[in-house]
Amino acid sequence: MKIAKKSMMLAVAVAASALALTGCATTASTSTSTGAAVAGAPAWCGPNKVTVGLVDGYGGNSWRLVTTAAGADEVKKCANVTSYLYADGQGDTQKAISDINGMVAKGVNALIVFADAGKAILPALQSAHTAGVVTVPYRVNPGGTPGTDYDAFIGADFTTDGTNWANEIKAQFPDGGNILFLSGPAGNSQGNDEGTAMKKVLTDAKYNFIGEQPYEVTNWDPAKTQQVLTADIAKYPKIDVIVSDFGPSLVGALPEFTKAGRQIPSLVTSDGNVLGCFYKDNKAANPAMNLFTVATGNDNVRLAVQYAIAKASGGTIPTESIFKAPVFENSRTQQPNDVQCEKSLPGDIYLSAQMPAADQAALLKK
Amino acid sequence: MVVERQSAKKLTRRTSKGLITMAISLVILLAFSWALAPSSVSGGAVSGMLQFGAVLAIVGLGQMLVVQQGGVDLSIPGAVSLAIVIVSHEPDGDNNKLFAAVLLAFAYALGAGILNGLMVGRLGLNPIIATLGMNALLFGAVLGISGGTPRTTVDLLRGIGGGATFGLPNSLYFAIAALILVSLITKRTVAGRRFEVVGANSFAGKAMGLRVRTHQGLAYVWAQLLYCTAGITLAGITAQPTAYMGNAYLLPSVAVVVLGGTSLLGGRGFPVATVVAAIFLGQLDQFVLALGVPFAVRTLVQAAALAIGVAIYTVNWAKVRARFAARTDAASAAVQS
Repeated sequence: MKIAKKSMMLAVAVAASALALTGCATTASTSTSTGAAVAGAPAWCGPNKVTVGLVDGYGGNSWRLVTTAAGADEVKKCANVTSYLYADGQGDTQKAISDINGMVAKGVNALIVFADAGKAILPALQSAHTAGVVTVPYRVNPGGTPGTDYDAFIGADFTTDGTNWANEIKAQFPDGGNILFLSGPAGNSQGNDEGTAMKKVLTDAKYNFIGEQPYEVTNWDPAKTQQVLTADIAKYPKIDVIVSDFGPSLVGALPEFTKAGRQIPSLVTSDGNVLGCFYKDNKAANPAMNLFTVATGNDNVRLAVQYAIAKASGGTIPTESIFKAPVFENSRTQQPNDVQCEKSLPGDIYLSAQMPAADQAALLKK
Repeated sequence: MVVERQSAKKLTRRTSKGLITMAISLVILLAFSWALAPSSVSGGAVSGMLQFGAVLAIVGLGQMLVVQQGGVDLSIPGAVSLAIVIVSHEPDGDNNKLFAAVLLAFAYALGAGILNGLMVGRLGLNPIIATLGMNALLFGAVLGISGGTPRTTVDLLRGIGGGATFGLPNSLYFAIAALILVSLITKRTVAGRRFEVVGANSFAGKAMGLRVRTHQGLAYVWAQLLYCTAGITLAGITAQPTAYMGNAYLLPSVAVVVLGGTSLLGGRGFPVATVVAAIFLGQLDQFVLALGVPFAVRTLVQAAALAIGVAIYTVNWAKVRARFAARTDAASAAVQS
């Protein structure tokens, strides 16, 4: 309820500021005939006025909260957006479908959809596309064909993550080692892509993938992660590196190493403030621990927003259609960053995101 | 002969069938673990297992009290999740606010328990419907407080819930305290004995002049307080809890009660056996994890263990034996003729 109210207020604020900006733009363009007012706007923001809608399949965690705010922030950059609407599917596929239909009925020109339910929402996307709305699903693939069923799919390239991790492991352990890979629910495509990419780089037999293959199933649940890790610590006397595609979920589980009287090994994963701070607090007692992270990808939505608005408003369409998460922290080389920790801010923020840390913290406050 | 039988009877009266079965099963499971997956009985693995087993034990004790009154409590997911959300959101990183948050969590639990108790005990609603509705209500509160977003727990709670004293996880001490409390109250106090009588036969209880509806309603209150304790402990253990963590405890809570030998129709409760059953399920989890079998097989093994456990109590084995004996008799008679 609170969130709905907040997002409503946010939407109103965005709409108001967009209107104010367009107001400025019109006055500016009347005074100077060259249209200098749009000079500061990014290239993807075209000349036509548009209404933009963002549909989230499930808005219920801090990562989504930051991601949604990042989407709204990106929309704000374009003065031609006259109205911005947001809907949260709350993990309910039927609601997500009716949200999409509702947005079309309200007359949005560009629709960005986090396709949590996958193929189940493809028909809704098709009908939005047929109705002439620029439809851009992102992050989770809804199936279908880009161009005929919807305009474009702005996916995240998990293969890049896998390759980045594997290269770091190669650099850190040139003589090989035991690698434990943890991912989400059994059979999730993200974990599969990452695993395949890692094995393409780490072809040598000296790199030994231990535990269940292709990855240990944790459901991205901290309690499950802890149970799995406890069992693996007991089972494998030598774990050199832990790879996880959701870094913050490791924090509760890693003290199991200390309890077993062992050193926390090297960590190769995705970022999160709580993880960075954990590293800083425990590095002294665990010299073998290194931390390497890729950005968690809150900014995936920005690319989707750019694409949708560009196509709807006649701007320059971005050349990239896949979001490649950049490397964020590396405690070994300090490139591109050393490990980051904002002790005074909540653990559930992502310092890799474009949005400033303090703004993210403000989002989390009730 | 007669004396022998009497003393045997006394022994079984003191130690329930459920406890004997669960203790034997646990020993067999530990032997299997030791032989097939020795890493699952190493120090670290056992203390890790006990941590989560203790949480399940506390939840199971709550469910047992409700089952004793012939009910079933489906509000566990909401209750556990709400406790987690309150103790992680309210302090918001400040250790000093933890105590107030814990009190608030218990206040919510008390409210939910009283409401459940009124609906089932006073208004005579079906417990499945009433507690399912309560679960939805509690999840409403979870979303209202947290918006569904989790928060890291404060260091103080992490130390208390996730820490260890004398080499054993703290959560185990909480479970033992809950066990002693529940056992003493139900077995050694007048109110507790009345509670069991009402559960065994509410009509008889009524005829004896006992306050049947109050006892039935109070079961839900005690249960909620136990769920709340379990939720707070779980928040401390995981340090980074999600807002829906209680979901994983509904089915196992019923399982440990049944495995412990408490009848789903109500009556006597077996707290010690329930706790042993929780440890058994925890070790079973750890064992199949350590075996390294695929995820699908893991789920099957757990399901099979539950089915066998339930079968031990519900199947009339004497009848099965009699039928088999009759068949073999008939068969041998046929061969002879």
